[in-house]
Amino acid sequence: MRTFGYDHVHGVPDALRAGTDPGAHYFAGGTVLLDLMKLDVMQPGALVNIGDLRGQLGAVALDGDGLHLGALARMAEVADHPAVAQHYPVLAQALHSAASPQLRNMASLAGTVLQRTRCSYFRDTSWDACNKRSPGSGCAAIGGVNRHLAVLGVSDHCIAHYPGDFATALVALGTTVDLQGEDGTRSLPLEELHRLPGDTPHVETTLRPGELITAFHVPAAPWMRRSLYLKVRDRESYAFALASAAVALDLQAGTVRGARIGLGGVAAKPWRSHAAEAALVGRRFDEAAAEAAAAEAFRNAVVHEETGFKPELGRRTLVRALLDAAALEV
Amino acid sequence: MDIVLTINGREHRLGVDVRTTLLDVLRERLGLTGSKKGCDQGQCGACTVLMDGQRVLGCFTLAAAAQGAAITTIEGLAGDGAPLHPMQQAFLDHDAYQCGYCTPGQIMSAIACVTEGHARTEDEIREFMSGNLCRCAAYPKIVAAVAQAKLAMGHA
Amino acid sequence: MPDDASWTTIGAAVPRIEGRAKVTGQALYASDEPVANPAFAFLVLSTAARGRIRSFDLRAAQAVAGVLDILTYENVGHEADPPAPHGAGEETTTMQTSRIWHDGQIIGVVVAETYEAAREAAYAVGVEYDAEAPSATFDSPGVQEEVREPGEHKDFAVGDADAAFDAAAVRIDARFGTPTQHHNPIELFTTTCTWHDGSLTVYEPSQFVHGLRGSLAKQLRMDPKRIRVVARHVGGAFGSKGIPSARTAWIAVAARRLNRPVKLVATRGQGYTIATYRAETRHHIRLAAGRDGRLLALRHEGWEVTSRPSDYNVSGTETTARMYACPNILTRVNIVHTDRNTPGFMRAPPDVPYMFPLEVAMDELAEALGMDPVELRRVNDTQTDPATGQAFSSRSLMRCFDQAAARFGWADRTPQPRSMRDGDWLLGWGCAAAAYPANIGAGAARVLLGPDGQATVQIAAHDIGNGSHTIIAQTAAERLGLRLEAVTVQLGDSDLPPAGLAAGSSHASGICHAVAHACEDVRARIAVAATTSNAGPFAGRDPATLILAQGRLRGEDGTAEPLHDALARVTGGALEAYAENIPKGLPPDSVGKLYSGQMAISRGTQREDLTTYAFGAQFVEVRVHARTGETRVSRAVGAFAAGRIINPRTAHSQLMGGMIWGISSALHEATEIDTRAARYVNDNIAEYLIPVNADVREVEAIIVPEQDAEVNPLGMKGIGEIGVVGMNAAISNAVYHATGRRIRDLPIRIEDLL
Repeated sequence: MRTFGYDHVHGVPDALRAGTDPGAHYFAGGTVLLDLMKLDVMQPGALVNIGDLRGQLGAVALDGDGLHLGALARMAEVADHPAVAQHYPVLAQALHSAASPQLRNMASLAGTVLQRTRCSYFRDTSWDACNKRSPGSGCAAIGGVNRHLAVLGVSDHCIAHYPGDFATALVALGTTVDLQGEDGTRSLPLEELHRLPGDTPHVETTLRPGELITAFHVPAAPWMRRSLYLKVRDRESYAFALASAAVALDLQAGTVRGARIGLGGVAAKPWRSHAAEAALVGRRFDEAAAEAAAAEAFRNAVVHEETGFKPELGRRTLVRALLDAAALEV
Repeated sequence: MDIVLTINGREHRLGVDVRTTLLDVLRERLGLTGSKKGCDQGQCGACTVLMDGQRVLGCFTLAAAAQGAAITTIEGLAGDGAPLHPMQQAFLDHDAYQCGYCTPGQIMSAIACVTEGHARTEDEIREFMSGNLCRCAAYPKIVAAVAQAKLAMGHA
Repeated sequence: MPDDASWTTIGAAVPRIEGRAKVTGQALYASDEPVANPAFAFLVLSTAARGRIRSFDLRAAQAVAGVLDILTYENVGHEADPPAPHGAGEETTTMQTSRIWHDGQIIGVVVAETYEAAREAAYAVGVEYDAEAPSATFDSPGVQEEVREPGEHKDFAVGDADAAFDAAAVRIDARFGTPTQHHNPIELFTTTCTWHDGSLTVYEPSQFVHGLRGSLAKQLRMDPKRIRVVARHVGGAFGSKGIPSARTAWIAVAARRLNRPVKLVATRGQGYTIATYRAETRHHIRLAAGRDGRLLALRHEGWEVTSRPSDYNVSGTETTARMYACPNILTRVNIVHTDRNTPGFMRAPPDVPYMFPLEVAMDELAEALGMDPVELRRVNDTQTDPATGQAFSSRSLMRCFDQAAARFGWADRTPQPRSMRDGDWLLGWGCAAAAYPANIGAGAARVLLGPDGQATVQIAAHDIGNGSHTIIAQTAAERLGLRLEAVTVQLGDSDLPPAGLAAGSSHASGICHAVAHACEDVRARIAVAATTSNAGPFAGRDPATLILAQGRLRGEDGTAEPLHDALARVTGGALEAYAENIPKGLPPDSVGKLYSGQMAISRGTQREDLTTYAFGAQFVEVRVHARTGETRVSRAVGAFAAGRIINPRTAHSQLMGGMIWGISSALHEATEIDTRAARYVNDNIAEYLIPVNADVREVEAIIVPEQDAEVNPLGMKGIGEIGVVGMNAAISNAVYHATGRRIRDLPIRIEDLL
């Protein structure tokens, strides 16, 4: 870990001022940042501790517009929040299935949404080639050990996966995110926060320098009670997804009126599958409909040496999630 | 930088490198070596301590950022010759360890697991104790210990 | 006086005597030992796997504030030799020269005022290599394959296995593979070195403190008497801390150069290449039987990866050739040299990889014969070692099968694959045999008994979670007639009498025998004093008839006097006894070898009078999701007959832990290697998976009572390894039963079952 400046701020304006310094990083739970700093993958010049802003940016509220989540609320408290579990089970389940109880006590919602890939070639600096870490150096993961990496949204420059669970669920539900910078505030769909790698995999988000995530808004939809998060992994807990599906179904008399589908563990960013949703809406729900949607979801999958199984696993995961969601008593 | 930490009810003032983690301060500066380093990467749970009653990882906590919180380590549960905390006693009773290296982290995590209300069933204990790896694999005995201690701690 | 249960004996399920220290955080592991004003070391590891270092650029590293010293081959290469090779062949070097043998080799040590400064500077060390393309593993270009010559391990050729196979009615011919695995004890590889007046003290987690001392003495060209190695508690080892690693000498050199204690806590990732691992293996098995199920031929050929210079191998054919009665047996082992660090022993080193193919092949054979897998084992059970023709000292394989099968409910199994189901989950039941040689180490122990009736036992045993503290105390308490609380155990220190290597299920029996000998010496001296005294109740009796029990010296007729009075007759009212134990099969200089740091283990496979093994049976239920293929073990029952058990409580934990290791081996563990760079990719415990609590459901370990008067005087066989053996196969067999897919390459993963 390189040494860094340390600034403990107590208000949003102070944070924004400190955050615009080149090399400064916001720091709340620290579970992603410290990890990557210890590995020498990230070398921030300054840490701006925004933990004390939790009082201002940590609220969880449900109203007629939907669910409002302060960016600095901690994963554990949101996971255990009764309103979240009741109205948006997919969110509670995604949070509960992520990381460990200790990490969920530490990590903020914004931090987990911004977590970075677990691609080993990104995390290990003894590999020279990583376009995400060192732009233009190449991609050692292509041709290497890449079983955990992405098959959706990848490019010839990067096949890293987005490893998170919560953002996968959030993005499926059409969440918007509030941002605050020195120039003011703005909102955008969460789907537009993360970028695909293309030929600039080192640019992971559309955040502007010094911009702070302040809140997430999940739209109101009573039918989102019929939702769930299914995570398929090599061990039962405390493991990243090989494939996951966040699904919500508006099912009326056996027909799909609305659907929300997010896919995790298989994509370069938090992935909402509009194609799969479109394949379901208006259709009578049955296993064939679920399979047709799953086929759409992975139509453009690109596989590498060890990821050949992932489209099939991803399809099966989605089908199982949809069948389970349709069977829920809500 | 100069920091003040409140650990097991005692205030400690010390100068540290800004990069120092809470775990390293405990172990290398304060002689509180009960909290263990098993990965230093948030993957094993051996460094679990309580901050304001919540279980967190010492290896992912900057010492500077731990100021202002009440920190409890394994050493804060039972003094020399004092009666053991019910969770410590339960680990003894069930042989819920072998090498003992992950044990302080398991015990701190288990206490929080109970106080959070995540120890209602054996399945829930298994899931909510999954942030603490035990390579000796005492897991079934850890579950039994948590189930015993939660009653002694006044939880159902 | 009636027997009182509070007088502990061998065989009692008492809690660990160091338990309180462990649950209060007071137990000192090596890196917990307080030393004054330490400097902190961070290792620099190579990022090339083969070649030479062309040059270092240390300017940036030296400029980091707080850096005290940087060691490379250029400034310290001559100051330490490499550890002696373990096994045949040569060992890789580290900082002796510019030579690079493998990725992650130690090429530098940065020492600084703080851990943070040392790590920062280590990242700033510039290295230029003259690198060559490395050979990573099987099938990589440039590997050298050779037949392993008989030496430490033997091959067997009984009858004519090839002809018998060709002529047989029912045949199985299959190939198998097992992956690289790393021990990953939760305690990291740490070393703290301090010098005082030319003497070195090393705090390091070790399974063999005398071995590490002896190695360091040779490496640093010192008198071993000037080196002390301390490892009071060891945070898991599983084999990884049994072989001296290169790091220790360099930390000693660093501390000597600074004249200040130096502390190293290597990172989790560094542990993958600075210590050993379980090498990947391949197997070709041919098994043939008559229609009655009796085996006619067994041919087992193995391939094992090792480093470029080392011939290290585990040769588990020494067990597979002994499992079942068979008139025609042929075994062979090949070693494949690669540009990797040298492998070493990891829990049940030969038997985890080699019993997997045999016990899966037995399952395949049972299916081909239409026989129940348990019955196939019964038909082929034997009390005679088929490889040598000599008798087993005892063998309770079928008692284990029968007890475990009954407990598991095996009779309710429907044999057809995919025939059992719970909703969306396919159920599979499988079983396999377990076996591990009954080994025993030489050892020495000292017992001090004071007039207050308090005893101290000194033996450089190792408590790596195996319960050594407690079984030593139990043995001494019983033999001295004391309460457990009256016995203090000192271990894990090379200043104490040597106990050998804590590995290979040889330690408990080795240390208990040594302690029992020393206690016998105490008893004999008290008894002689009592019988040669002119006064007292035992005057003139035969000292051999007196025993120490329940705080008294007792005669056969019930005459007794308090221990305190009996002790008063010996000079000074206190005793110190030292005794050595040389187990059958070892030469008389074995304890001398231990003092000099060499191993001295009598192996159950190498005795000339008998073959000694522990046996067991494993039964598992797996659940495989019919759609998404996740495999979880919902139930496991193992039964093990391992002779006399000193402490059923700690033994149960060992066996249960071993079984869970087996779940891990079959379903989770594999070190992934990027073959282009011969580099481990998942060198951490988030991506190298071991089970978490939620993975482990019902795991039941049954201890099957077994008496064996031949194996050793106490009748002990050791239980550290056998719990893991057979689980690979039992789980693979269960997955076959659940899904109809026969998985012969481990670990079993989702993609195998889609």
